[in-house]
Amino acid sequence: MQYDVVIGLEIHVALLTDSKFLCSCSTAFGAPPNTQCCPVCLGLPGALPVVNEKAVEYAVKAGLALNCQVHHFSRFDRKNYFYPDLPKAYQITQDTYPLCTNGCLEYYVDDQLQRTAITRLHLEEEAGKLIHSGSSIVDSEYSLVDYNRAGIPLIEIVTAPDITSPRQARLFLEQLRLVMRYIGVSDVKMEEGSLRCDANISLKPQGSPILGTKVEIKNLNSFRALERALEYEVSRQSMVLDRGGKIKQESRTWDERAGKTLPMRSKGDAPDYRYFPEPDLPPLLLDPLWVEQIRASLPELPLERLARLEREYGLSRYEATFLVNYPDFGELFLELAVPGGDNTAVINLLMGEYAGLAREHGHLEPRRIAELLRIVDEGLITHGQSKAVLEELFHSVLSPREIVRAKGWEVLRDEGQLRAAIRQVLADHPEILARYRAGEEKLWGFFMGQVMRAVEGKADPKLVNRLLTEELGSLI
Amino acid sequence: MRQLAQLLKAGEISSQELVQRCLEQISKTDGEINAFITVDEQGALEQAAQSDERRAKGQTLSPWDGIPVAIKDNISTLGLRTTCGSRFLRNYRPVYDATVVERLQGAGLPILGKTNLDEFAMGSSTEYSAFGVTKNPYDTSRVAGGSSGGSAAAVAAGQAPWALGTDTGGSIRQPASFCGVVGLKPTYGRVSRYGVVALAPSLDQVGPMARTVEDAAILFSLIAGADPRDATSTGSPPFALPRWDPEVVRGLRVGVPEEFFSSGLHAEVEGAVRRALRRLEEQGAVLQPISLAGNEYAIDTYLTLVTAEASSCLARFDGVRYGERVPAADSNTMFAKSRGAGFGPEVKRRIMLGTYVLSASHYEAYYEQAQRVRTLIKLEVARAFEQVDVLITPTTPSTAFRIGEKRNPLEMYLSDLYTATANLSGVCALSLPCGWDSQGLPIGLQIMGNHFQEELVFQVARVVEASVERGAKGAV
Amino acid sequence: MIEREDVLRMARLARLELSEEEIELYLRDLNNFLASGRKLQRVDVSGIEGTSHAVAVNQVLRSDVVGESLPREAVLEAGPDVVDGYFKVPRIVEGQE
Repeated sequence: MQYDVVIGLEIHVALLTDSKFLCSCSTAFGAPPNTQCCPVCLGLPGALPVVNEKAVEYAVKAGLALNCQVHHFSRFDRKNYFYPDLPKAYQITQDTYPLCTNGCLEYYVDDQLQRTAITRLHLEEEAGKLIHSGSSIVDSEYSLVDYNRAGIPLIEIVTAPDITSPRQARLFLEQLRLVMRYIGVSDVKMEEGSLRCDANISLKPQGSPILGTKVEIKNLNSFRALERALEYEVSRQSMVLDRGGKIKQESRTWDERAGKTLPMRSKGDAPDYRYFPEPDLPPLLLDPLWVEQIRASLPELPLERLARLEREYGLSRYEATFLVNYPDFGELFLELAVPGGDNTAVINLLMGEYAGLAREHGHLEPRRIAELLRIVDEGLITHGQSKAVLEELFHSVLSPREIVRAKGWEVLRDEGQLRAAIRQVLADHPEILARYRAGEEKLWGFFMGQVMRAVEGKADPKLVNRLLTEELGSLI
Repeated sequence: MRQLAQLLKAGEISSQELVQRCLEQISKTDGEINAFITVDEQGALEQAAQSDERRAKGQTLSPWDGIPVAIKDNISTLGLRTTCGSRFLRNYRPVYDATVVERLQGAGLPILGKTNLDEFAMGSSTEYSAFGVTKNPYDTSRVAGGSSGGSAAAVAAGQAPWALGTDTGGSIRQPASFCGVVGLKPTYGRVSRYGVVALAPSLDQVGPMARTVEDAAILFSLIAGADPRDATSTGSPPFALPRWDPEVVRGLRVGVPEEFFSSGLHAEVEGAVRRALRRLEEQGAVLQPISLAGNEYAIDTYLTLVTAEASSCLARFDGVRYGERVPAADSNTMFAKSRGAGFGPEVKRRIMLGTYVLSASHYEAYYEQAQRVRTLIKLEVARAFEQVDVLITPTTPSTAFRIGEKRNPLEMYLSDLYTATANLSGVCALSLPCGWDSQGLPIGLQIMGNHFQEELVFQVARVVEASVERGAKGAV
Repeated sequence: MIEREDVLRMARLARLELSEEEIELYLRDLNNFLASGRKLQRVDVSGIEGTSHAVAVNQVLRSDVVGESLPREAVLEAGPDVVDGYFKVPRIVEGQE
């Protein structure tokens, strides 16, 4: 039986503010446990929250980048439940009147532009961190709590159940992550917990308008895990439905090692969070002018840049995608390239030899790269030599011209010297020469190789080509 | 207090002597009265010594520098045990000061100690304290009222010249009324709640309790004002100590709400209040009968909201970071046992009720409905203040009842019959003594003023005060 | 009308361990209160919004400046069970909200 897959995602993004959401403790990552806490984020009796303006700004920015309607009136609510990492035993969040609703994100899936609707985006606070004594929470005799992360500002983004495949879900999340990086509101690192994703998935008979039972998947710690877990669920749910069974509405956790989702142990009732308006915080009222200022401050977003790179710089989808996905490369390209011009050399360099080296050693200043491209274009060095010069640039402060001069790598143009080298090679390999003259024309490549070796690659291949042909021709 | 300040200034008495006298009075009477949970003898004397030093150098922090004060034990004091009248916090020492404490210390007031209260400020008699009931200095078989019973009794018994209390549904005014002292519940937001252990954040306020209206006004002036750490606090308009002007009463429109003179009101209380009203009339006030029909719903509205908010505010007492933990094999059991053992019956009762009215299936019918009735009450009060300048009512239906008399919790809640409206609508309300009943028990009169009308309320109170026979107990 | 089941569920939600007497007591108290509280449901509140804040206050937002945190000893000082700079809690059983 063929099934339609229906996926919705619930994403949490930690905002890159200096101080926490509701107090002024630092948000810096990696501090020793419980050294970034105060009465407010510890939930000490009598402490009160005060909202961080920048958190609101970043949340608005994210909402605008996701094409949401930003509400000038929104409100905070308490979500009440007990858990050791929740200092007040309630989380301050936005339930009834969220900051943003009705947005969308567009992204390419195999060259098809897809759009996923975003139902809502709201502000809430992060909980503390738990370290379990055992390998997982279920087999730990005790746990240790660190409240450094408690109170970090988060935005929760909920998509409509618009996504129709595990791969699409992954691509959506990757695009979302990219957008968040472009607008600078988060460093969205799943490994550090600044990007988290839970998924809801259900299957329905192909074409049926009736949605199936939704299963929630948690504990997805990477993009790969997201995709794999959803693929597993599609498979699992299909098998259940194929044999006429019913899908149980439940939360399942992804077990990376086993490669499967497992039911989470739950006891009885669905949680009752007893939401009610947060009395310690007045409603959030935004100045429409401020919102417009934030909108005006949005940088070029990934999809816009993609289109511009293709249109104005003559790049292919593949090339443009690379530059968009790696914005540091994108910025570099934009500095080096010419709109409307031929940017083949630039893109080939950046995506080719340069990429690996830059990842290892960090980026070069644009003007040094520009000079490298220029001297190849001028013919000072051959294209083949440019790799050596490039590598040298990462280890030296010299300019490309200075490096070429210092290493003596200028291209050999003296025809006399080249002819001498060619004649030497031919003289050194009489048997092969004889075979060539007998008709084995592909041995021409051998001579070419030998000549280039003899001149240590410092000759223009085209010139060598011509001279070798002439020399061989003159022997006949 | 002006006299004390004069004496201090003139050098006729030192702060240490003042503190010493208070400590002696406490020592003499508190075995019986039990107004204090913690007396900080050493700390108070040290602070007094520092005050005397400042005075010697001419560097006093305020005119009231050196006059000791007592603080209700739900207000955080750095390093000084703050129990909230609960077993759960019987050994809890805050690591920070409440803003109001910082302000008093900033004015140079030594802190005598922490006064008794109904557990977590839930109650009207201080019988619900885990540290024993506070007895009424006028008749020790009777309650001092609650929840700020300790503060009221301490002032009435001459143990402290003035004190801070908190008021959520009447908890300053009712004990003030029972103990024959002056107590003010300020306009919501006028005094910072930072560091005050929350009962119901949308209703709680910290207020002064003292023997005279002027003293209460002075103490209020020291604590009022916006606090950046309390997002619900406001500093505008700022409060200024009024220049006393009895003429203020001439032409003053005094609303007398008939619902506050209902069948439950004791005859002698009514008599004393009406006599005070007549005296005002003789001085030129215009009495106006007015109807606040919404008062019929005040108690039920109040109880619904206060228990809901309290159930959430008290959830942080889970035994993870502070408080008396009862060990268990798993966290949930640890929470339940610690809270079960640490909380008294009234606290548990209110948490249960609050949890119920917030639970998903009942939220709309109970909590949301109460919120909306609250608006009606608020609107009605606002309309009343369009027609009158102040509202004058009895503070409580009766004088102090006997210890153990109110067995039914619902009966106890009726103590707040005349006081809860001010908390629900956020307006300011003051109670001062206006006579005694035939058993020598003080009778309290309540003056309610519109938002930010404390100056007017104090003025009127002073006139009423002047016209009543005085007989305060135990002057220092 | 609140049943015993409701009391037990509230106690679970609120993490309160109750004795048998307490369960009986609160069952009675809750029913008493709610009988009286039901009066509120008869009030006509059509067109009326709820009040969550008694006095309308101007927006107070904090600028994003890092302030001082508590020294770690102060954070851990009141902790009933502290290990290596962490708060220790016994086994956490999932899904019991």
